[in-house]
Amino acid sequence: MSSKNIREKLDELSQIVASFERDDLSVEEALEQFDKGAKLSEDIEKTLGELKTKITVLRERFDRE
Amino acid sequence: MENQKLTPSFTVSEAIAVINQTLDYAYPSITVEGEVSSYKVNQNKWVFFDIKDDSGTLNCFMSVYSLRTQLEDGMRVRVVAQPKIAKWGKFSLTVRTVQPTGEGSLKRAFELLRAKLEAEGLFAPERKRLLPQLPARIGVISSTTAAGYEDFKKIISDRWGGVELVVAHVQVQGESAPSQIVRALEHFNQMSEPVDVVAIIRGGGSADDLAAFNDEPLVRSIASSRIPTIVGVGHEIDVSLADMAADVRAATPSNAAQILVPDKREIIAQVRSEVKNMLGSVRMLHSRYVDALEDSRAKMLTGVTRAYEQAKDRYDMLSAVLGQLNPRTALARGYALVFDETQKLLRQPPPIGAKLSIETENAVIKVGVEDVKQKHS
Repeated sequence: MSSKNIREKLDELSQIVASFERDDLSVEEALEQFDKGAKLSEDIEKTLGELKTKITVLRERFDRE
Repeated sequence: MENQKLTPSFTVSEAIAVINQTLDYAYPSITVEGEVSSYKVNQNKWVFFDIKDDSGTLNCFMSVYSLRTQLEDGMRVRVVAQPKIAKWGKFSLTVRTVQPTGEGSLKRAFELLRAKLEAEGLFAPERKRLLPQLPARIGVISSTTAAGYEDFKKIISDRWGGVELVVAHVQVQGESAPSQIVRALEHFNQMSEPVDVVAIIRGGGSADDLAAFNDEPLVRSIASSRIPTIVGVGHEIDVSLADMAADVRAATPSNAAQILVPDKREIIAQVRSEVKNMLGSVRMLHSRYVDALEDSRAKMLTGVTRAYEQAKDRYDMLSAVLGQLNPRTALARGYALVFDETQKLLRQPPPIGAKLSIETENAVIKVGVEDVKQKHS
């Protein structure tokens, strides 16, 4: 789970949420999907809290004629 | 004789060369401000105009390539130029850069260039691309000492925090700013590991300060960037041609940061809400199952009840019919049953002397047969 980036995790969560729209979803499947979604959301929240901005200032100079 | 020694003597060409050398030594570059007159472009290559004030006029010359703004007579400009005498003796300024100055001229140059670039379709809405939803690497073109840059960095870190900012430090005002920004944009477009989006940012300033962002080559460079661009220059009310050429216009550097990355607090709230909704869906699904189960039970119970009622009704009816058919019911109405000696119901006329039993409602009477007469029906 942790090898995916935030975007992929959010996409996965969206897919899980979308699976609840299925008419043929059984309670067992719903519970399984819910557990997966809840775990994924905790992971997303944790990852978001740990994000750090990395700043690289280019050494190139752009003032040459 | 002494005068001849002090006064240098040259041929015409030498004199021109010496004067040019002297000028170049003393004034390799001068800045002159004045009003444009006699503006013309020859063969789409060479630009000629005069620059004048109340009491003087200077001829100016430059290449179309160096002209980065739109000019017309009456416009107030600042030229950076090298003074020079041509070999045919005409003194002129060889212009390196020309910039409109003063609100009216800046506005006029802006309008002229806007009309030109608009006609070429540089600002057409169909050219605009969507910015990546969650960029991982953002190229930033700005001055790292500018206040707008600090705001941008802070908001990116506060809102999201998970991106890499690759920063090209450039001048964001003045003569060399447009060229530096163009080179930085070219650099980002040529990187082996490209950034997802380029943000060109600068804080507020006077119209003169922001004029760099109305530079024609810069505007063209933004419009042709392979990497999507966002431009956030000045304050909300400032609109530059660079803004108009970018894929997305941000009102300020802070606004650019807000557009580029989502707020993680909003994402967290959204994720929590999705989990809550999922739980609601699970509960709803469970309750739908329970309802279906109860419905089935109710239907079964109704079925059983209906079957019982039907059986009971039938029993009651049969029981009533049976009651009517019971021969003893007739005894109550005064009839009697006659049995022979074997206690069978008498159905044939008995012989004389036979012993019979007569059963009434409340007595059994033993009798002997004295006479038998046949009835004729």
